[in-house]
Amino acid sequence: MSHPDVEAQVDVYLDGELAASEAVELEAHLAGCASCGRFRDDRLALRRAIAARMPRLEAPELLRARVRAALREAAAPARARRPSPFLAWRWLAFAASLAAVAVGSWRLAVLRTESASLADEVLASHVRSLMPGHLNDVVSSDQHTVKPWFNGKLDFSPPVHDFSGRGYPLLGGRLDYLGGRPVAALVYGRRQHVINVFLWPGAGAGGMAPPVARRGYHLLHWATPDLDYWVASDLGLAELTDFAGLLRLGDSAAAASER
Amino acid sequence: MEPSELERFEALVLPHLSAAYRLARYLTRNDADAEDVVQEACLRALKYFGGFRGDGASQSRAWLLTIVRNMAHTWRGRRRADASTSEFDETVHTQAMTDEHQDALLSAGDARETLAHALERLPPDFREVIVLREIEGLSYKEISEVVDVPVGTVMSRLSRARQRLQDALTGSGKEL
Repeated sequence: MSHPDVEAQVDVYLDGELAASEAVELEAHLAGCASCGRFRDDRLALRRAIAARMPRLEAPELLRARVRAALREAAAPARARRPSPFLAWRWLAFAASLAAVAVGSWRLAVLRTESASLADEVLASHVRSLMPGHLNDVVSSDQHTVKPWFNGKLDFSPPVHDFSGRGYPLLGGRLDYLGGRPVAALVYGRRQHVINVFLWPGAGAGGMAPPVARRGYHLLHWATPDLDYWVASDLGLAELTDFAGLLRLGDSAAAASER
Repeated sequence: MEPSELERFEALVLPHLSAAYRLARYLTRNDADAEDVVQEACLRALKYFGGFRGDGASQSRAWLLTIVRNMAHTWRGRRRADASTSEFDETVHTQAMTDEHQDALLSAGDARETLAHALERLPPDFREVIVLREIEGLSYKEISEVVDVPVGTVMSRLSRARQRLQDALTGSGKEL
């Protein structure tokens, strides 16, 4: 015969939550009662099955990145609303432009101002991309899937690489809109960090601009004879520069092989 | 919020992100929804971080899981309100589903699938105590705080949930 009261205790006992005195009594009963003994064995088998077979999921890396970005956004407003850092930045740009005028290079000033507002756009786009469901239009770690995806969507074909061998796997790509034109956004990963690479055909200004650090993000900007590049991430500057180096090397190799 | 406060929050809460994701995943039964629930829960946790008085890892874990659990239930309510995606009433239909699907699942011979499906088909009240106990290893007292029911209710829900899982595994609701 079965003992429902005892069976109810077996779960508590196996969970290690039964008081010691009660546990002693229960063990004595289990030793002498075949029905309750079977019940306990079944429960032990179920526990083993759950431990062995239930997938022990880990939070995806991208979720981690997304959550951290969202937390920073949520924690930032008080600081972002304070006008001083932004004004200081603008003022620096203005000061730089004055200095530029002083040395007779008016064009540099225009470039700096343009790139200052573009930096705002790039940063906003990077942050927006980390919100749920905004990161990728095409999700793939295969450059031969991502690159053709842009066909017909842009008037150029962006070079796409997979640096997973170097720890920067390709995560996907999407269309974005920067500086008044549609651009390619390629998404690479580094541990839990997300790197956005924005690129579009440029005027060939050339060279690497000084890095921009804002609200915990780093922005890098450079131009090749063919393309303008902006790279945005919360990654440390050293690693982001390392990644930019890989990208510049990879893209110049790709450009050379196309010629 | 000061940057140091955000850092303290991240150090205390982010180590439990996988536990949060697992609970959300089992409650929503959907990857994308689980991720949204986790993100919303983390933002809510940040908002109320000032009122959190614990400092140990198990306290912060139970605290985060409480928020995730409530967020997942809010999410279910939203889903239910949306007529186009109305969820079937599990307490009514679970047994029928179990009987109907059991043969097919068992003949597929994949016990892992059977167990995962059996867990997914449990009513949410049962599913959450099983996940919290068997996968996260929370104590009865911690579970009672997360789920907001007395310890006695935790015990009886665990017991009934296990019986259902066991029936699903052995392929019979009758013998036991």
